[in-house]
Amino acid sequence: MNQSVLLKCEDLVFGYGSSEKKATGLAAPFNFELSAGEVVALLGENGCGKSTFLKTACGLVSAVSGRVILEGHAMDEIPVRDRAKLVSLTRMGGVACDRMTVRDYVSLGRMPYAGLFDGRSAEDEQIVDESIRLLELEKFADRWVSELSDGERSRVYLAEAIAQQVKVLLLDEPNAFLDIPRSRKLFEMLRMLAKERRMGVIVSTHSVEYAEKYSDRIMVIENGVVCCAAAGDARAEGLLDWTKP
Amino acid sequence: MRRINTRILVAFVLLVSLAGLLSYLTIFSGTVGLSWSDLSFRSLPYASVQSQILWEIRIPRLVAAVLSGLSLAVAGLSLQTLFRNPLAGPFVLGISSGASFGVALSLLLGFSFGHFGVLSAAAVGAMAVTALVMLVAARFENSTVLLIVGLLVGYFIDALISLMIVGSDAESLRVYVSWGMGSFGRLTLDSVWVFALAVLVGLSLVLLSIRYLNAARLGDDFAKGLGVNVRRGRMMVLLGASLLAASSTAFCGPVAFVGIAVPHLAFMLFKTSNHRVLLPASALCGIVLCLASCQFSTVPLNAVLSLVGVPVVLWVIVRGGGVRR
Repeated sequence: MNQSVLLKCEDLVFGYGSSEKKATGLAAPFNFELSAGEVVALLGENGCGKSTFLKTACGLVSAVSGRVILEGHAMDEIPVRDRAKLVSLTRMGGVACDRMTVRDYVSLGRMPYAGLFDGRSAEDEQIVDESIRLLELEKFADRWVSELSDGERSRVYLAEAIAQQVKVLLLDEPNAFLDIPRSRKLFEMLRMLAKERRMGVIVSTHSVEYAEKYSDRIMVIENGVVCCAAAGDARAEGLLDWTKP
Repeated sequence: MRRINTRILVAFVLLVSLAGLLSYLTIFSGTVGLSWSDLSFRSLPYASVQSQILWEIRIPRLVAAVLSGLSLAVAGLSLQTLFRNPLAGPFVLGISSGASFGVALSLLLGFSFGHFGVLSAAAVGAMAVTALVMLVAARFENSTVLLIVGLLVGYFIDALISLMIVGSDAESLRVYVSWGMGSFGRLTLDSVWVFALAVLVGLSLVLLSIRYLNAARLGDDFAKGLGVNVRRGRMMVLLGASLLAASSTAFCGPVAFVGIAVPHLAFMLFKTSNHRVLLPASALCGIVLCLASCQFSTVPLNAVLSLVGVPVVLWVIVRGGGVRR
């Protein structure tokens, strides 16, 4: 196996349900590899299965059939704590984070590395500070997350994932609440993280323009079928035809 | 250099000092004045009436207030986190009703529960409901289902108790109603260790689940994503909280409001939801509240606690601090 491949899907069928017959939101079996330093944009209409795929890729939802392999190990065989050091899924609309400051929230990203009583080392604090700086959250680090705007909150969620220091970063519509300059900045940062930290990034989005500009490959889920092509070739290969009026 | 939050430090020092002062008052103030000399090693027969009052009444009451305050506050906080419901408390799982059912069987229908009498009856009832809750928790992933089952079991048991009350005599009913008012005066020195052991086990189970509690605030999927074994964490917290609430109810009766109000009080003081801080903070607040209520020994315990608890919960709701943040 190629050493730089971080995530591999083998004949993967994903969806909700225990068998192919019972499963809902089913996609046809597909193969896919995510390498270190690569950004893959995941596109598709609402309800096509983007989020389900991302949940399957991080082990939150079991594959209906086929396998997800993370750094050479089958997903089911990796202990949950070790898995949390390898892959992280960031969703923008989750449970409301009540009674939590921005710093507290970002600090949760260090939990996979914490001991029995969830303490944080000086190194953990430093990583949290770096993540806060990277996402330009210093100004409201001590404010309540619930008091922030949706866009600011998106950056907090992302900072938490970055503090987790995973190899594979999965993001579910991270720019849904961001303004145009911040969206651009986000995609630039994802690209920088992938290249500099040798991370693999899969980012689901509805921003076709950013997907073409900032990702290495584009993955499209359409009518239960998953297709993938180099970002520059996706349009020519017809992967983006569904976006036309 | 790691950050030390001054607010947290000051709040802890204040609460510990307050708990110390109230402990002193609980032991030494009252209708019979006691002094340090009465606090000599316990020996039978007692050297004086004062010494007997100290060892037979004051110290068991102090221990009951401390253990009960600690256990109800910790149980309340952990259940509020688990259910992500700021108004959940130790009794939402029907544990209090279970204990009341055991006591009603003993006092109203005359069933015998062995050496400890009413204590055993309450413990058996509370544990039976706890077992049922654990059974449901093992079967359903959804915490809301558990919450609904707990409330329904509570209503069902309350209805059964009502039926028992209808056919009971006035004296039995008086004793039962008196038990329902809660008291820190029922614990005897001989049974202190049983209470302490139950609290220790319950507390250990909750403390070992701090990672789960810190992550579970944001949902089970989020916790799984942070490498937390959600199923194990949930079972440990449920078992620990049930044990804490059940032991307190068994020894002190159904003590109201500590479980619901104290976690909010602790949050208002410490302004953090990190359970590494909030668990000891809630425990201390619970201890202080219960010790404070000991100073009004002539008024029923639940009346005192409700008079404090109701305004606190109302304040939380009106101010929105408990729900919004």
